[in-house]
Amino acid sequence: MEEYPEELRSPPVALVALVGCSEHHGAMTTHLLSHQPPINTLALPDFSKLTHLLQRSSSSPGGFLKRDWLVKHRTKIPAVVAALFSWDHVSGDPAQWVQVCSDLDDIKAAIRPKNTKLLLLVVVGKSEDISEDRLLALRKRAEVDSKYLLLYNPDPSQLDNSLQRLSASFAELGATFYKEEGRRIKARIEKNFSTPDLQVRYCFKVAVYAEFRGDWAEALRFYEDAYYALREMIATLTRLSPIQRLFEIKTVAEHLHFKICTLLLHGGKLNEAVTWFCQHIGSYKSLVGAPEVIFLHWEWLSRQFLVFAELLDSSSTTLPSTSSQPLGTDQLLSEWEFHPAYYYQSAAQYMMEKRSALDLAVSNSETFNENDDGSAESVIPSVYIGQFARLLEQGDDSAIQSITDDEYTRYVIAEGKRFQDNFEIIALLKKCTEMYSNHKVQRMGSLCAFQIAREYFSLGDFSNGKQFFDGVANLYREEGWITLLWEVLGYLRECSRKQGAIKEFVEVSLEMAALPVSMVDGIQSSKCGPGGPASLEQRELIHREIFAFISGEARLEFLNGLDDLKVTGDNTLHLEIDLVSPLRSVLLASVAFHEQIIKSGVSSLITISLLSHLPLPIEIDQLEVQFNQAQCNFIIMNAQKSPLEAVQSEQHDHRMESAPSLTLTTNKWLRLTYDIKSEQSGKLECTSIIAKIGPHFTICCRAESPASMDDLPVWKFENLVETFPTKDPALSFSGQKAAQVEEPEPQVDVTLGASGPALVGERFLVPVTIASRGHAIYAGEMKINLVDVRGGGLFSPRESEPLSLDTHHVELLGIVGAEWEDESRKGSDKIMKIQQSFGLVSVPFLKIGESWSCKLEIMWHRPKPIMLFVSLGYSPISCELNAQKVNVHQTLQIEGKDAVLIDQHFMLPFRKDSLLLSKVKPAPDSSQFSPLPLHESTVLVVSAKNCCEVTLQLLSMAIKVDDGATEKSCSIQHGNEDLGTAVLVPGEEFKKVFNVIPNLDSSKLRLGVVHLKWKRHCGIEDRSGLTVTDSKVVTKHELPDVHVELSPIIVNLECPPYAIVGDSFMYHVKIRNQTELLQEVKFSLADSQTFVLSGSHSDTVFVLPKSEHVLRYKVVPLVSGLQQLPRISLTSVRYSARFQLSVAASNVFVFPSKPHCNTEKRVEEPAAAAD
Amino acid sequence: MIVCVAVVGHQNNPLYIQSFTDADDALKLHHIVHCSLDVVDERVNNPKKSGPTLNETFLGLLYPTENYKVYGYLTNTKVKFILVTTDLDVRDADVRNFFRRFHAAYVDAVSNPFHVPGKKITSRTFADRVSTIVQSFGLSSAA
Repeated sequence: MEEYPEELRSPPVALVALVGCSEHHGAMTTHLLSHQPPINTLALPDFSKLTHLLQRSSSSPGGFLKRDWLVKHRTKIPAVVAALFSWDHVSGDPAQWVQVCSDLDDIKAAIRPKNTKLLLLVVVGKSEDISEDRLLALRKRAEVDSKYLLLYNPDPSQLDNSLQRLSASFAELGATFYKEEGRRIKARIEKNFSTPDLQVRYCFKVAVYAEFRGDWAEALRFYEDAYYALREMIATLTRLSPIQRLFEIKTVAEHLHFKICTLLLHGGKLNEAVTWFCQHIGSYKSLVGAPEVIFLHWEWLSRQFLVFAELLDSSSTTLPSTSSQPLGTDQLLSEWEFHPAYYYQSAAQYMMEKRSALDLAVSNSETFNENDDGSAESVIPSVYIGQFARLLEQGDDSAIQSITDDEYTRYVIAEGKRFQDNFEIIALLKKCTEMYSNHKVQRMGSLCAFQIAREYFSLGDFSNGKQFFDGVANLYREEGWITLLWEVLGYLRECSRKQGAIKEFVEVSLEMAALPVSMVDGIQSSKCGPGGPASLEQRELIHREIFAFISGEARLEFLNGLDDLKVTGDNTLHLEIDLVSPLRSVLLASVAFHEQIIKSGVSSLITISLLSHLPLPIEIDQLEVQFNQAQCNFIIMNAQKSPLEAVQSEQHDHRMESAPSLTLTTNKWLRLTYDIKSEQSGKLECTSIIAKIGPHFTICCRAESPASMDDLPVWKFENLVETFPTKDPALSFSGQKAAQVEEPEPQVDVTLGASGPALVGERFLVPVTIASRGHAIYAGEMKINLVDVRGGGLFSPRESEPLSLDTHHVELLGIVGAEWEDESRKGSDKIMKIQQSFGLVSVPFLKIGESWSCKLEIMWHRPKPIMLFVSLGYSPISCELNAQKVNVHQTLQIEGKDAVLIDQHFMLPFRKDSLLLSKVKPAPDSSQFSPLPLHESTVLVVSAKNCCEVTLQLLSMAIKVDDGATEKSCSIQHGNEDLGTAVLVPGEEFKKVFNVIPNLDSSKLRLGVVHLKWKRHCGIEDRSGLTVTDSKVVTKHELPDVHVELSPIIVNLECPPYAIVGDSFMYHVKIRNQTELLQEVKFSLADSQTFVLSGSHSDTVFVLPKSEHVLRYKVVPLVSGLQQLPRISLTSVRYSARFQLSVAASNVFVFPSKPHCNTEKRVEEPAAAAD
Repeated sequence: MIVCVAVVGHQNNPLYIQSFTDADDALKLHHIVHCSLDVVDERVNNPKKSGPTLNETFLGLLYPTENYKVYGYLTNTKVKFILVTTDLDVRDADVRNFFRRFHAAYVDAVSNPFHVPGKKITSRTFADRVSTIVQSFGLSSAA
């Protein structure tokens, strides 16, 4: 597009001229340029210049359009001439007036032939009064309408206003001028006598005039008319020089087409523009022209595409919705026709055509015109668009002479030689590639890239070419387009050949030879690339060539003179084939261990399978199998070849195997099975297989597992017999290139000796014995872990947490009894780390047959089962850090249990009851504590029940208080702390009675903690020492808090301990008022059938403060046995509380007769008390 | 005249490609077929643009080249058929008809129990049948 002149590319801008009063021109010019639409200005200082400007040149037309016509109308021929007169002159003396008049006449004369419009501007001063007469006279003289005589006031206050009026008038007059011009020429068209040449010219002019005034629709219409008129002329090429004529027509058509497309695209009519372009190409494509200048045609076509692409490209940035517009109603256009890249691509395509045609034309011209007379010189573009002429210079004069077609041909060929089309083509294609890749259209992009690469290749720029070829080859490889890949690889092969890159050359050649090109889809074409036709024969040819080369038998003829590149001597050629390499089809190595887990030191089988898709069999001299454990590497020799010297010298430490034949045939697995033995535990993985062919060529092939082997990308779509890398098909599906080598069987026993439940609170000992059976233990380390059986994870809390009983229900306290026989020797590596649930201890060196033991001390804080893990890691051979370690694991589940369960309950003394108000009316907050009467003795029974399976021996039980405060608040009396030998079998309960007298009225009284000291009771004293060190364990039990209150009324029943039928006895009910108040107590006695009694049955008594009231009854029992005395129920009126003594308290045993036994004394005592 | 037909598999790999020209432009045709896959991809990935062709196997004109027209067809198993013709004025109905018959031939070919799905079609019968279909292209409408 850039090669078009500016006046063609941009829409025309109206032109006006300013004459006279040049000091004001600047302001006007600037203003008019900023006017919308802008107006260009010619500023002429004086009136004489104008006549020069408007001189008319006339000549008989010799072509369609003059080259300078457009530029003339844009820069030289004004539509409007504005004559500026200063008011001084207009209103001045007669001489001045005459001057004005004559100037005016000159202007009128000058502009008349061109029909240029005239505008009068009178520049007025600041405060001059304007005489209408003079203005009228001036207007008359100039013969202009009154509205085209303007007053121009340069005063800043008036300037804007004046300029506004000025530009409006200019625009109006300009439009009129162009309209009239257009109409004038249109009239000529309508007369219809004009020749087609003129027709084209007139239409063009009308269109340009329409453009001048912004009438785009009319412009478009007339451009199209001109275009059609021109198109019709092609049929009547009658002139003498058809080559030039055709070229001229095409050039003009190109201009017209450009204008039309620009207008269409500016109008947003994308569909129309594309359709128009298709028509344009369609109608001119076949106009090839004379064969010797056919390249002109291709060049022209290429330019059409390029220009249209550029137009589309630039309009796609301005048009907001190019993508939504296509494919509306017009289904004839596909979306690609709206893509500038498509046009760039076509432009490049035609440029290539042009280049080849030009090459042909150049060579023809060179052969036929040996004696070039230089007639192509001094040819210049003529005044008409698309024409060329010779400039004859004789001295200062020059004349234009038209040239013949022959001369013209020579001229264009000579011109054509000057350009480097290759770079232009590359630039175009690069643009395409970029655009395609922006739209993620990778295949078209890669086609362009391929073309770029071919251009570089033909230019001899192999490194650039290779870069592009590589990218393209990747896509074709990925998608399996073999024929296309073949072509690209052919170029790549040639590039590396030309560059002398032997390794790449060999790689590409091998890849080509291993491509699945068969007879079926091979292309027999002469238009193939440097790789030759894609066929089996060619593959075999390449194969032979390359193997002859690498075996050193033949040299490649292209390397003439480059001896150092020959693969000999120290120059070894080494190829690497990894998992994504395209060379996998050349050599594919699959390695399968027959067993997934192999024992250390035990030999197992491994199968190495090789596959090649090369067309001819290849013979491998030796194979080296490499593992991650280098000592397992081994070498397979081809038995048919004599061993290579190099192998014997450097690799003698590896195992050597021999195979009867190492020949790979096409698509047939070569399977080799060998023993493999590893001494080192862990992963044993085959890493690579190195095949050596000839003395200087090696291929290193990454080993692959048959189970996870990818298909060969280019071969997977081929219809081939499916083959398996191993004989056993199951192994082909599951075989792995890696196996796990197990560590050797440990020859050491670890025994955990403890059994039975552990009891909470004791230091439970778990004896651990490490006995060596067959291994000496070096650098032994024992790890101890305590784990929750229920899967609650390790007990080990975070390190930061403070040690508390809540977080460590079970705790590893230490390791005792670890006897290091020689402290000085082991001192340095003795490790002992103990945490709550983890321990690490080093084990001393043990010879075979020796043993070592220690004890783990574990303390349970809560009853909980745990799993104890002990793992011993040792090295059977030496103390080295990296030595092979053997691990022995041992686990033991240990139950943790509570030994004793301590409980307590309070009792009041027999037949005594206190009225406790909190019991009667329980307050909501104090209900949880059991109430105790103040200053009254209460019996506390503490029971300890053996709830484990071990017999315990209780040593002592005591209630201890923490501080002295409790000592005062209550007194606890009990018997001897020491319990002697109280043995508690499982399930048995032990009780101890305490007497508690609270001394302090308190709603919440702490009583203290029961300390129960016990130990495991075993028949044999020694055994207990074995498992438990500190055999005495203290179990603590916190007594619940009690509520102490003063009891207002205490009732005592007094009666003998037993009775005899028929014998009367006294039954007293003592009611003691402890308060300072008079207490009214109602009582009622229920009759009992087994007793006869005397006394009041029910009454209300008043008990004086701090005194006692006694109800007395004489009772005679009637029936023997355990009988219920008549029950008395009391009601305290003050507290409206009713209380009745418990049933047990009112029971008495009645003997049928007086018992005769020696219990007399005891009987008398209570009787005495009753009295 | 049809100059090239192709069957393209899921991974955009050619399963069958046959050109029917005497001229040495088989490679060029391969390139054209390969490039047309871009358009098929675009049509399939942006179904909105193609609007009415949604749910239709016939993809229509894919790709303009100077001398060829490329038509596409997408089977319900996402196998693509590509047709390259030199006729610049082709009736849609003819192309549809061609693809229908071609599809039938393809279905028969892959129904062969010895054919492995996803592999290249090497059946000679299929090739013969395709060339018959290609030769009869456009004739039915002319008759």
